[in-house]
Amino acid sequence: MADTVPRKQALHYFWERIVDQIGYKFTPDEELVDFLLEQEVALEEKFEAPYCPCQRRTGVWAQDMQIICPCIPYHREHYDKMRRCWCGLFVHKDVTDPDALKQIPPDEV
Amino acid sequence: MSRPKVFLYALSTCPWCRKTKQLLTDTKVEFDFVDIDLLPDDEADAIADKAYEVSGARVFPIVVIGDDVVVGYDPDKLADLLKVGWGS
Repeated sequence: MADTVPRKQALHYFWERIVDQIGYKFTPDEELVDFLLEQEVALEEKFEAPYCPCQRRTGVWAQDMQIICPCIPYHREHYDKMRRCWCGLFVHKDVTDPDALKQIPPDEV
Repeated sequence: MSRPKVFLYALSTCPWCRKTKQLLTDTKVEFDFVDIDLLPDDEADAIADKAYEVSGARVFPIVVIGDDVVVGYDPDKLADLLKVGWGS
């Protein structure tokens, strides 16, 4: 089994800097971060891009590119309303209790 | 009064799908589920299309309870539709 730790660390390093620029940070739930990064490394290995673990590819690139992590810019209004991204890997910078945040269906935004 | 059928569309990679499964299991709600990403590609596409048809969403989890659909992990909404209490 491949050692996923170096890739998880690399993604964490880069994404932390990217989402910081748009008002987000990694969720303080470290167990969730580790689980989601593990899934994303596996998805990247299989599909050549770290797709969101909680959304499914359609096979249409114009749509699929919008769920490559971090996908916040493509869903800004939706995620800003939830104060988190759909899978919960990232939350608004001022969030201290991610468990208090709810998933809101896209059509209810 | 019989309970409506409960079906969960899930992805094995999604922690909120796992939480939904656990929630339904803990409260002994009878349900069926499918982890779409674990199916062969053709079958997965067909089931994902079906999930989109009933929910209008490509995000997971999606729970179908009779004629109602819950998109996302929402214990309150599930409890309301299933007439159960969580953790009591």
